[in-house]
Amino acid sequence: MSAARTLSMRDALYEAPGPKTRHRVRIGTAVSAVVVLLAIAAVIRQFWVTGQLAPRYWSLFLQWTTWRFLGQGLLGTVAVALTAGAIALVLGLTLMLGRTSGVRPLAALCRVVTDFFRGVPSLLLIYFFFFVPAQLGLKMPSFWMLALPVALAASGVLAEVFRAGVNAVPKGQVEAALSIGLSRAQTMRRVVLPQAVRYVIPSLIAQLVVVVKDTTVAYVVSFPDLMQNARVLITSYDALVSMYLVIAVIYILINYAINKASVYVAHRTGVKIIR
Amino acid sequence: MGISELLGTYGNKYLQGLLATWSMTAVSFVFVMALAVLVTVARVSPYRPLRVAGDLYVQVFRNIPGVALLIIIAYALPDLGLVLDWRTCVIATTILLGSAFGSENFMSGINTIGVGQIEAARSIGLSFTQIIRRIVVPQALRTTVLPMTNLLIAVMLTTALGSQVPLSPQELTGVVSYVNTRATGGILAFLISALCYVGTAFVISLVGNRIDKRVRILR
Repeated sequence: MSAARTLSMRDALYEAPGPKTRHRVRIGTAVSAVVVLLAIAAVIRQFWVTGQLAPRYWSLFLQWTTWRFLGQGLLGTVAVALTAGAIALVLGLTLMLGRTSGVRPLAALCRVVTDFFRGVPSLLLIYFFFFVPAQLGLKMPSFWMLALPVALAASGVLAEVFRAGVNAVPKGQVEAALSIGLSRAQTMRRVVLPQAVRYVIPSLIAQLVVVVKDTTVAYVVSFPDLMQNARVLITSYDALVSMYLVIAVIYILINYAINKASVYVAHRTGVKIIR
Repeated sequence: MGISELLGTYGNKYLQGLLATWSMTAVSFVFVMALAVLVTVARVSPYRPLRVAGDLYVQVFRNIPGVALLIIIAYALPDLGLVLDWRTCVIATTILLGSAFGSENFMSGINTIGVGQIEAARSIGLSFTQIIRRIVVPQALRTTVLPMTNLLIAVMLTTALGSQVPLSPQELTGVVSYVNTRATGGILAFLISALCYVGTAFVISLVGNRIDKRVRILR
């Protein structure tokens, strides 16, 4: 096993196979391939039997208007996700700075707030912004009814991500900065933060996946995002199964791309992804 | 609405909600662990089709939004001839989502062991099953305590999806929206459910940290 070839753990578990093992692995591979194919065939058969492969369920995807409407929804999703992400970034950083400020009451407060938003489902926060401002007589656009709770839910996680980044900066650097007479605030701003932010960029990108997922419940506040527009199309075309499957695939591809981007950046900058 | 009035009218609902959240979380997590082990075994098996299927499973359920999956299970599967009751739909959703993340945790647990240890084990003459039983599994389990604790909390938060289908009894998030469509619950109505979630999460992470401290491997 040469050092030049990086061996993954799952390959390292097995010795270089002899002829007998190679034979057995070949049989196993064939059997498992058949099992996987049978499973796929069973699913497709179920679609066929229940009539879900009928053209009337799928022809709407050949129409330009369908994709334009879904595209508008996707723009809504992107707008909400980016807004919520930006707010969460600022809030998360603020919470982390408060927690590591060394001022006791402030640190305790920020800790409680961080743990609160990490321990509460985003759906509960979304219902909060849906019901409570209205009960208090405030009129809130549906965009913010969605963006704010999603941002709050993410800010708790991001605060922890930032804190992990700060902890990853070697202690000696902080001690050195303090000993040459920088104040705590200066040390944070000039020495720790620039490095910490660089450490956590891949994790921040990965957290965008959570934000995108959280925006899917936009229909609760009737904000026209991808999912909500898909629901509108379902009622007008009566194509429930096909539409939900296509939407699911779109979401999966978006989030897969975000994850890949995060891994790519981590690889390029040589940092580990903190989750 | 004051706290006494709120709890007097809906106290029972909240209690049922808390129990529903707890029981769905517990049931889900047992299956999450079992399925995560299965998927991980498939992903490290020497059979390529199983590896590919396992990897695909993880990518799909790691990246699909919970609501989208729930809607597919609850509303699209009946059209395909599979009707599940609402509670089963929610639990199935949390299991599928959770097991993908659980398998990722196991994989990174296995990956932290390092190729060198496997080579060392083999060079002192341990067989494949011995390597798995004595080297891989114990270490992988120990390093995944903390990630799995976080996963348990995530599974609990995912059960909030139950508010999107007509569950009976409702779970904590469903209860809040039920209360608010009938009365002006205000901030308090939310705070009760939120504290139930946060309290549970706090206990879970406390226990998780205890266990982790006891079994952690210092590297």
